This record gives sequence, C-alpha cells and structure tokens, in this order.
Amino acid sequence: MSQWLNEVIDSASDVNDFLAPARQAALADLKNEGWPARRNESWRFTPLTPIEKRAAVAATTATNAEIPAIDNLDAIDLVFVDGVLATELSTIDVPEGMTITSLSTSDTAAQASITGMFGSVKPVRHLFGRVNDALSTQGVYIDVSTDTKVEKPVRIINIATQNVDAHTRVLVNVQPNASAVIIEQGVGSVDSLTTAFAEYHIADDAHLEHYRFAMVTGNAKQLGGSHFKLHNRSTLNSTVVGYGSELSRLDVDIHHAGEFADAKMNAIYLLAEGELFDLHSTIEHAMPNGTTEENARGIVGDKARAVFNGRIHIHRDAQKTLAELNNRNLLLSRRGVINTKPELEIYADDVKCAHGATVAEIEEEALYYLLTRGVSRSKALVMLNFGFIQELINDVPNEAIKTWLLPVLSERFRQMEVK
Amino acid sequence: MLSIKNLHASVEEKNIIKGLNLDIKPGEVHAIMGPNGAGKSTLGYVLSGRDGYEVSEGEATLNGKDLLDLEVEERAREGLFLAFQYPVEIPGVSNMEFMKESVNAMREERGEEPLTAAEFLKKAKAACKQVQLPLDFLKRGVNEGFSGGEKKRNEIMQMILLEPKLCILDESDSGLDVDALQVVADGVNSQRSSERSFIVVTHYQRLLDYIKPDFVHILADGKIVKSGDASLALEVEKNGYAFLGKEYEGEEA
Repeated sequence: MSQWLNEVIDSASDVNDFLAPARQAALADLKNEGWPARRNESWRFTPLTPIEKRAAVAATTATNAEIPAIDNLDAIDLVFVDGVLATELSTIDVPEGMTITSLSTSDTAAQASITGMFGSVKPVRHLFGRVNDALSTQGVYIDVSTDTKVEKPVRIINIATQNVDAHTRVLVNVQPNASAVIIEQGVGSVDSLTTAFAEYHIADDAHLEHYRFAMVTGNAKQLGGSHFKLHNRSTLNSTVVGYGSELSRLDVDIHHAGEFADAKMNAIYLLAEGELFDLHSTIEHAMPNGTTEENARGIVGDKARAVFNGRIHIHRDAQKTLAELNNRNLLLSRRGVINTKPELEIYADDVKCAHGATVAEIEEEALYYLLTRGVSRSKALVMLNFGFIQELINDVPNEAIKTWLLPVLSERFRQMEVK
Repeated sequence: MLSIKNLHASVEEKNIIKGLNLDIKPGEVHAIMGPNGAGKSTLGYVLSGRDGYEVSEGEATLNGKDLLDLEVEERAREGLFLAFQYPVEIPGVSNMEFMKESVNAMREERGEEPLTAAEFLKKAKAACKQVQLPLDFLKRGVNEGFSGGEKKRNEIMQMILLEPKLCILDESDSGLDVDALQVVADGVNSQRSSERSFIVVTHYQRLLDYIKPDFVHILADGKIVKSGDASLALEVEKNGYAFLGKEYEGEEA
C-alpha cells in the first residue's frame, strides 16, 4: 500500500458533509482496491511512482497567486489556489439565468441539486477520480437555467503554488435549450498534486463550449477529468490543451445519452524535456443518431512521453452513429516516446466509425530546402511542423482564446529541442 | 567571389568530389557539364551544406568567408542560392509565407528593415510575372502539385526575390520544353550583373545557347578535367565525352 493513499484514506474518513453517502462509497472503493498494481492497464505507460510515497498534505494557508492572463477575454474567473476557492462568490456579477454555488453551501435546495449531480456523469474510472470523490469539499456547481444563453465564459482556474494536495470538483448543469462557455485551466510548476474533475450535464437542445487547459509543468502533478453527458440534440464543442509535467493525466468522457447529439473535440499537446502527458479519451454512443468528431494532435520533444488512449464504444442500440477519432503525432527526438492506442468496440451494425493514429518525424529534405533560402532553423521547424497544430488552434470558436493560444503554443514549440 | 581549392567530399562514405578546384569572379557565368555520376549535383549540395555531405579535405570560400564553417541558412544569407533540380513539395506551407520569411531573413542579414506585407506582395507579383507564373501560385503550398516546369520557374522566381550573390542552377533545364526553357533563361539573364555570379550545372549544351557562359568546365570523377570557353560545350555536344577516355564512351552528352 502506498503511504500517500493511506494518508488520503485517513483524511477522507474525517470528511463529513452533505455528500457523505457518495464520499463513503468512494472511500470504501479506495480501501478495497488499494494502490494500482504495476501491471495495471490503466497506468501501463504512466508510472505512479511520483505519488506513491508522497506525503498527503492539505493547504492550511491561503496564498495569493497571480491569475494567468488571457488577453481580451472577458470572463468570470473562479480561482482555486492550492485547492481552496479564493474567489468570493457573493461578489461576482453572475449573468441572469446562471447560478454559481460553492460545494460548501449550506443552502439545502442547492445541496439537493449538487447531490443529484455529483458522480452522475463521471464514471468510476480510477483511483484518483475516487480520491476526488472522497475529498473534493472545494468546488463549484454552475447551473444555467432553461432557455438561457450565457455568452460570457466562466473560467475555473486551479493554481498550484506550494507543495500540497488539492482536490477540486466542478459540476455544470446546462438545462434544456440553454448554452454556456466554460474554461477549466490548471497552472503551476511547483512540486504539488492536484486532482480536478468536472462533470457536465448537457440537457436536450443545450450547447456547451468547453476548454480545458491542462498547463501544469515541472513537478506539479495533475490528475483530472472532464466528463460530458449529452442529451437529445445537444451539442458540445471542446478544446483541450495539454502540457506535460512529472505526471499529468487527463480523462475525457463523451457520453451520448440522448439521440442526435453532436460532439466535437480538439486536443493539442506539446511536450518538452522529460514531461509526461496522458490523455485517455472515451466516447460512448449509447443512443442512435449521434455524431462525435475528435482530433488529438501532439508534438513530443526531447525525452518527453505522450500517452493517448482513444476508446470508442458504440452500443447495440446506437444505430446511425458517426464517430471519428484521429490522433496525429510528431516526434522531434529519438528519445521521445509516444504510446497511442486505439480501442474500438462496436455493437451496432449501421454506423460509420473511423479511427486513425500516426506518428511522424521531421522531414529532413523539406527542412533543408527551407534552410537553403535563409530561413532560420527554428522558424523553418515551426513552418513545417506547426501547421497541423495551428489548424486546431484556428478551429477554436472563441476569438480571444484563439489569439492568446497561437503565440503561446508556437513559442513553446520553438523552445522544444530537436534531436 | 567563390574560391574552391582541392575539395574532397563524400556521401555515405563514398567519395564523390575528389580534389575539385574552381575560381569564380564577380559577374562570371560558369557552366559545369559532365557525365552522369560525375558529382555535378553533389557540388551544389556540398556548397549549400546539406546534411550527410561530408567534406574531408580542401576549402571553399565565398567572398573570403569560409563557407564550410557555416550552417545551411547562414550560407544562404551570405548570398549563396541553389536552384534545385528536384524542388521538394511542402504542402501546408504557402509559397508566399515561405518567401516572405526568406526575403526578410536576407534583409535582416543586410541590416535592412523587414518588408511589410504590401511591399513584399508587390515584389513577389513582379517576380512571378517575370517567370510567367500565375499569381495564385503564391498562395499554394510550396511546389505543391506544380508541374516540373512550374517548379523550375518557381526556383527562378525565388532567386529573383532573394537577390543572391552566387547562384547555382542545378539542371534547371531538365524536363523543360523550348518555351519553358526560354522563360527560365530569360529569368536568369535578367539577373546577370557585374556583381552576381552563376554556376550553371547542365547535361545539355542546349541551355547554354540561352544562357551564354564565360567558362565551361567538364566535371568527371569528382574533378574538373577540362576547362574552356563556350566552344567547349559545343565540342561536347558534337563528340560526347569520348575524350575523357574509355570508361565514359557511350555516355550521352
């Protein structure tokens, strides 16, 4: 058994809030299942050694942290510093039809809504999701009422500033025919551990524009998930950006629980040095006539490792499903590693389903050609190899985010070493 | 301008250039002819600094600067230009984006301000017109889907834009019909000046009817074995490379 998990179990036993039944179930799982064995398929390429012997520490002091800027983005910022909600919710100007509630609310009606949603979208996937179930007393519940279109984005930021464990939870309920824009962002590079899971109910005819910027680096360890349940005719447009760190894993679930839902997800990861980023994507088509299009593209430099697990599961009743999942990688270094694994399970016979994964290397001849015209090596590499990433950036629906991402990501790419 | 002394170079440990000497003064046009496998294309790659082309001996200087000590892009910025025999297709990078980056890299080297998009476009349009490339070629991916002749003209278009000091044209005539050849030659001739030198690598004398060389060299087995004026090219055209000895007999000129 791991020292860290023992301490987590101890502290989880002390949590006693209105979510107690859900937390107790998670705690029981943690006790029963214990630390994952080394051969565990879910962690095959992502060793958990950086956490195994860690001391589990919760934040006791609230520190001030600088909020990462996104120029020209007019958003409602909800900031968690080291796992503690630092934004005073009562001071926020929330658009009409939207409510934002802390998970520590004492309002019994709100508690009932939260209890109803907590754990209803996120599958019981792995240890860290269960840890979050047991310990996430910090979090927010966002409700967008029927027919309400909220254009102003809500940005939920997890900032790691010191060596503590942070467990935050986001619950978003987009009611029928409503729409919302939600951004989840994680930053920090200090030795720390964050679990950050979000659940999204997208009701009939509702629309969600979603972003997840998993941008922790260095020794900041991050395990999180964004989980979506789509109901009839609902739509999801999600953009994921991942940097790597000592250990960074993100689980994304898109679950078609209604008919004629349409999901689109673009994921970008750029990994440098010895970084690791693990993206597990699961697409569940349980109902007919749904579409999913997912593009995951990454560049891996130096000794970094990317893990991409892309699962599509089309249930027997999900006829007329259209599901496409594509994973493209560029490897800049002989020492870099990309583990990409498709998993297809199709039980319906009238479906269109495509799954592709490629790994490419630098094209030396094209690079030489550009260099002979005096273009600098770093610019030539960007011109040749950044296009497939840029395509996904161009696809970002929010202008301010698109304008912010392009220079941030191209600069990160420029600094990656080619060997 | 260019001075090559006793150059030896190899590719994958196979010696290709074996003691080559060449001296080119500003404004001169030198043609290099020779049988297949003589090392004609290799010379261009070695001078431009292509990976895998190892120089084991000798020196090459451009206006006094040691070329062999420079990176590929630095050689280009010193004014070396290689027009490729087989230009590579690069989908996803537009001709325009590529050339703007190149032109501004050269300007930066000379301490000049980068061109604005409008200034660049004006120059690029003029260069396209000169080699009779439709303007929409600027927006297309570099060489993407271009015919053989269009690729060659695109090389000359780049040369016009980059204003190099020394141009190496590697079989810029191969695969061209007479009209296209005329366009390429006109493009080259328009760039001739007392400051700019050319190495014209070719298999056929035909190109030299259009681009008149000051000197003609015969490259065989990695060395220049014979030099002369333009009449040497005509001699080769007529008699082939028989004068080189038995092993080259039967090679088409």
